[in-house]
Amino acid sequence: MKFAFFDDSRIGIVIDSEIVDITEVNLGINTVTSQGFLNGIMENFDSLRPRLEDLTLSGTRVPLSSVNLGPPIPRPGKIVAMAVNYMENGALKEKPPIHAFLKSRNAIIGPGDTINLPKANASVFHHEAELGVVIGKEGTDIAVENAFDHVFGYVNFIDVSARGLSGGNFFWNKSWDTFAPIGPYIVTKDEIADPQNLPVKLTVNGIPRQELSTSDMAHNVAACIAWVSSITTLDPGDIIATGTNHQGLGAIQDSDSILMEITGLGSLEVNVRDDLKRQWPTEVDSTFADRMAGRS
Amino acid sequence: MKLAFYDDFRLGVVQGNHIVDIPQVVENQSDLKPSELINYIIANFQRYENLIKTSAENGNPIPIANVKFRSPLPKPGKIVCMAINYLEGGPESKMPPINGFLKSSNSVAGDGDTVKLPPANASIFEHEAELGVVIGKTASNVGQSSAYDYVFGYMNVVDISARDLGNPPYDSYFPIKSWSNFAPMGPYLVTRDEISDPQDINVKLWVNNKLNQNFNTSSMAHKIAECIEWVSSITTLDPGDVIATGTNHLDLGPLQDSDIVEMETEGLGRIHFKIIDPLNREWPRETRAEKAAREGGGN
Repeated sequence: MKFAFFDDSRIGIVIDSEIVDITEVNLGINTVTSQGFLNGIMENFDSLRPRLEDLTLSGTRVPLSSVNLGPPIPRPGKIVAMAVNYMENGALKEKPPIHAFLKSRNAIIGPGDTINLPKANASVFHHEAELGVVIGKEGTDIAVENAFDHVFGYVNFIDVSARGLSGGNFFWNKSWDTFAPIGPYIVTKDEIADPQNLPVKLTVNGIPRQELSTSDMAHNVAACIAWVSSITTLDPGDIIATGTNHQGLGAIQDSDSILMEITGLGSLEVNVRDDLKRQWPTEVDSTFADRMAGRS
Repeated sequence: MKLAFYDDFRLGVVQGNHIVDIPQVVENQSDLKPSELINYIIANFQRYENLIKTSAENGNPIPIANVKFRSPLPKPGKIVCMAINYLEGGPESKMPPINGFLKSSNSVAGDGDTVKLPPANASIFEHEAELGVVIGKTASNVGQSSAYDYVFGYMNVVDISARDLGNPPYDSYFPIKSWSNFAPMGPYLVTRDEISDPQDINVKLWVNNKLNQNFNTSSMAHKIAECIEWVSSITTLDPGDVIATGTNHLDLGPLQDSDIVEMETEGLGRIHFKIIDPLNREWPRETRAEKAAREGGGN
């Protein structure tokens, strides 16, 4: 099942190229926010599922092309982003220690939205294509073998990154408004047979940049969930961004169009705006790739 | 006004040594999650302020000694902590560059709670007493001159820290700062009107009745208005978000099994909590300044 937000905080279920609006359906969820409504669905998904499946048959379908999709998780509880979590196709000789940072939940934007590059004096702004894991069930100290019990689904996630601000402080480099495009929808976990074998692609203006497979992750999804939840409780609506392969990153700049696709999760297209019109080379940032791989 | 949650997250208003229950000011109040309720009230305070006041005047005061406080913000939208934000060498100190980090919104604890030290191999666990600023309305690219329009109120925040974890040279704030219960906050949330000058209040923290931290917010390097300006230039602040404004590190001390910690900022009440450490790790019971004096002859 695929959940999306559209037209100013309405929530719907996507079926192929159509969407059924479930915003007004009484699902017994008490909340004052649309994010709270989604969290309620995720928390009670097993019991609500038959009802939701009925709605996809009985509800009025409208073409996706006639609505404006928003970010499918407008206000995650938190975003935990894994740092250096790919073996980078052999470029890394040893498995890096598991590590992460928090990214502001206010950085979220959705399909068709625009990444707004801040005026801050970054050396470059990069795209990082990542598999986003959406948490559906609260958990602390989750065991690796139970990790997927806490997963609701998956989403395309671009971890936009400013480099070179304040000596690599993650808050300053990662948490700018608009720096977390996600979407176009959340895909429930039953639709993804093996989350550790998914092709991830990202292009800028149609030119390939990142092509990686989630099979190359250093610490797999279950290990990430276990480790993060050993530090901080995970709640429904939280996102774990599982990291990227840094071989293939490149600059993003004014008027760029970015397309990200993970097989089964749809296509996420966003634009870039930079009022300062800064310019960087339009190819892969090989200096950065070499540094991440320890080649320089 | 002093807003609090108590017992099973009932909403209340503190008046002197009493608390008054505010059972139904928002529609379906008891069905909402406490975090959602308080964030909603903060975001819509103009609508609810008089209702809450009237409800408090007509309610039945209960001695606060008879209730268990919960954190007034059980799950803030986000917690932004200022890093190195006091002029620790006195007024002549070099101004540190403004900097901050995010702390997990799931790290909140309340008055009377217990903080369990994780088994992770930290070199030490320390307390950091901080003035917490609670945001009242959505703030993006706010200028210093209007910063206080976006402040809802204040509360005590202890930013507990596990040193030397993570993966240096990468920024390692997440595994240092975000453990469960590493952000005791409270005992209640005091609205802005009750604090005449937030840049001139004393912040104190005791461990087992020994006064460790005792500083004034006048020695903050980047003042509250500047912190709001800087943070909101990076990430939009929402009602109920918390900015922890940093601490003076000179008098930080270790936290270890069975310690009782108390913190009080003038006008914000006193929060206390207990430490437990299943590993019973021990550190000398001295602050950084005391350690430096012992090791370095006072320098």
